[in-house]
Amino acid sequence: MADITRKVAQRILNSQKKGKTPTKIAPFQLVLLAAAIVLLVAYPFFPFVNNYWIDVGFFVGIYVLLGLSLNIVLGEVGLFDLGHAAFYAIGAYTTGILFTQLHIPIVALLPISAIVAGGFAYLVTSPIIHLRGDYLCIVTIGIGEIVRITALNNPFGLTKGANGITGIGTPDFGLFSFQTPTHFYYYIWIIVALVIIGLLNLQKSRVGRAWNFIREDEIAAEANGIDVRSYKLLAFVLGAALAGIAGNVYASKMMVISPDNFTFMESCLLFCIVLLGGLGSIPGNMLGAAAIVIFPEIFRQFASYKLLFFGAALVVMMIFRPGGIWPRRREGVGFRGLGISGLPKDEDEFLSKIPKESVLVSSGSNSSSPVSAESSAEKADGDVVLVTKSVTMQFGGLTAVNNFDLIVRQGKISSLIGPNGAGKTTLFNVITGIYRPTSGKVVFLGKNITGLKPHTIVSKGIARTFQNIRLFPSLTCIENVMSGPHCHAHSGAWSSILRLPGQKREECRILEIATYRLHQVGLWQYRNELAKNLPYGKQRLLEIARALATSPKLLVLDEPSSGLNDKETEELMDSLKSLIAEGFTLLLIEHDMNVVMGISDWVTVMDMGSKIAEGLPSQIYNNPRVIEAYLGKEE
Amino acid sequence: MRMLLEQFLNGLTIGSFYALVAMGYSMVYGVMKLINFAHGDLFALGSYLGYTVLVIGAGWITQVFGIWGGVAVAITAAMIGIGIAGLVVERIAYRPVYKAGRLPIVVSALGMSIFISNGIMAIWSPRFQAYPQNAIPSGILSFGDIRITLVKLVTLLVSLALMAFIYWLVERTLFGAAVRATALDRDTATLMGINFSKIILFVFFVGPALGAMAGVFAGLNYGRIIFNLGWGYGLKAFTATILGGIGNIPGAMIGGLLLGVMESLFEGFVSGAWKSVFVFLVLIIILIVRPTGLIGEKIAEKV
Repeated sequence: MADITRKVAQRILNSQKKGKTPTKIAPFQLVLLAAAIVLLVAYPFFPFVNNYWIDVGFFVGIYVLLGLSLNIVLGEVGLFDLGHAAFYAIGAYTTGILFTQLHIPIVALLPISAIVAGGFAYLVTSPIIHLRGDYLCIVTIGIGEIVRITALNNPFGLTKGANGITGIGTPDFGLFSFQTPTHFYYYIWIIVALVIIGLLNLQKSRVGRAWNFIREDEIAAEANGIDVRSYKLLAFVLGAALAGIAGNVYASKMMVISPDNFTFMESCLLFCIVLLGGLGSIPGNMLGAAAIVIFPEIFRQFASYKLLFFGAALVVMMIFRPGGIWPRRREGVGFRGLGISGLPKDEDEFLSKIPKESVLVSSGSNSSSPVSAESSAEKADGDVVLVTKSVTMQFGGLTAVNNFDLIVRQGKISSLIGPNGAGKTTLFNVITGIYRPTSGKVVFLGKNITGLKPHTIVSKGIARTFQNIRLFPSLTCIENVMSGPHCHAHSGAWSSILRLPGQKREECRILEIATYRLHQVGLWQYRNELAKNLPYGKQRLLEIARALATSPKLLVLDEPSSGLNDKETEELMDSLKSLIAEGFTLLLIEHDMNVVMGISDWVTVMDMGSKIAEGLPSQIYNNPRVIEAYLGKEE
Repeated sequence: MRMLLEQFLNGLTIGSFYALVAMGYSMVYGVMKLINFAHGDLFALGSYLGYTVLVIGAGWITQVFGIWGGVAVAITAAMIGIGIAGLVVERIAYRPVYKAGRLPIVVSALGMSIFISNGIMAIWSPRFQAYPQNAIPSGILSFGDIRITLVKLVTLLVSLALMAFIYWLVERTLFGAAVRATALDRDTATLMGINFSKIILFVFFVGPALGAMAGVFAGLNYGRIIFNLGWGYGLKAFTATILGGIGNIPGAMIGGLLLGVMESLFEGFVSGAWKSVFVFLVLIIILIVRPTGLIGEKIAEKV
């Protein structure tokens, strides 16, 4: 077993023993949680609470559910959805129509409404999911309006136009049927409680983290193996399904639904709930919903002025608490929270848990001792890992990369150098799938990967860093690195919601890999810091750790030394060399000639999109064409 | 044929309202990257200001300035009033929230929108208000068998002239270049010596003022107004803005006119009840094909 690995594991365990266990809930929060549960359960029995106020409690529950459903889309993924009432409406109308036309029991319609709303969301959002920010916003508003107007226009006599559908029944569980406000109150809050448990589990899973990665930086997420499109769609479908459930409960409570219940204003209210509470924060969401429902009740005697106050209150809230009432804090991540075997007892146990392929990329063929000069000379041309075959990339009339051939060999550090604007980063973007080349092929380990999506390429074994660091700024360091193993894990939404054993094991592995990589770059002590709070040099290292955590076969680094001081650069060179020792293959873009000449096994020079030279560093150093490209021609 | 032309003219009229309001959205968006949800309600407020000037001053304004003079006074007053209101909104609801990121300011804007529309309701009552008949110039022109009211013709001509003026201002003058530079990159523009507060002043005054003019014209053309009028027009104008490519002022004009004509033709020949569905479907289809609008430039994010 590798010495490096053993040492690292030892250090991790020492620091874990010393450090606090971050997932333990503070006693204060437990008390608050207990108080909230007692309050919600006992609420209908409080002396001043009459049926009217029980109904208010019911509506708080409905809006909590709706807020949570929008929170998935808006809070977790950061998608600008201002038409969420559409999915609520679909749920309510599904219930209304199927009950009145086919007399399907309301309880059976609960899952059906969820499925119909989710399916509707899938259909309408999949063509538009790639739209950015405000463009997505207007489309969601449009979807909201289309649904409302359609309901208003009474197609095929199904929606009954402006008057809406009347005579919707109440939920009926065999002998027991829901009649009183108290019944409905408990009904909705039990649903809310179940949903919250599921969502909490989801937040702490690879699905929840993937959503947050997308929110933080879509391109970085995709480049780290997150299937951005699918996760966005999943968020919409899940959010819509929950809204559909809310629609079902609402319809059975009111027994009548009309297009007026699902206006743009309703979508705005939901949007405000999420932001008032705090993006991505479940307790915040509950407070936000309570505020939205109770505020107008308090100002009821001012009737026509209540919305005036409400509007002003929104502005004032955002001025004084733009992050919301209860902003989400990033909690620490630790082995304990996983609730399987808990913290590894000793280093051997931890080592045995680290999947070998993630630590030693090709443990079989590579001895773990640092690669010596002889061994690299022996394998002067190792196996080819990556080839680009006459890759050309054009933007309009501009040819950024011209007919470029590049070869990267196993276990070597290859460098790509060239003056600014030579097209190096563009070539990287072609290799990692961010651009699709105009012509030419990219072959990785004998397979053609041209035109694959970045996240697929990552899972095949190419990881990258960015020239301008692209971390997930508001997530902790360990969470950043946990994006790496994502692409090799499989747990989906259901196994995460239900915390199935396989999912827990997978979470444990993800955490182990991340722990190891974070330690490897010397950032373990910062694991629970937000990435944006790290100094620049450490951010670079974190980005490398994140890329390593994808267990790549080839690591592509775009100017890793830029912005580092001399000492940091030297450390970086050492760590890059040790990566080769670990069995990785490296491809760098680099401007610092000391770095290039010091560690490269092979250098390729690019100018104006074309290859002008390649060879050993010493050959490149004196090549007149290279000097000309950098310094210009001597007259 | 006659119906086609008349619907086309109707569409152009309503499209010019959309275009005027859309320009305001686009200006503010360009500089602040903010969808000013209160903008539609400022448009409605403009309509009410014009109405109030005409009602209160109906007697003497019309006497002193004549009926067209009265209209001009109402429009000017509404434009100045709403321009100032726009600045106030920016000052109290947007500037303090600006630094907090893109979503809190949206809530602030929605709050402002709710505040203004309910403020209108509190002041002028929730019922429809009729623009005073004696202040609306009458008269119908006939071109062959095409008939058009004088008010509509003037609305169209004035709106188009104003759009042309704004186009010239933004695209052809040094000040306009400063506005466009700020829209592209606020920090760099500021470093180049562009006075950002001046740009803010410009977009938050001129944008709402254009909306106010559209508001008074809408009142003159359709005769009656209601407190939540801003939301429908605002939404359509916002759609027009996106259609043209947000942040792009000529795009907003073209988007507005196009939207108005499309809507009007669909209403005339297919169905009035489904016209909004049609408009949004067209928008969605256009965005699927061109994700940044008709003449929005391609945003290539640097990786």
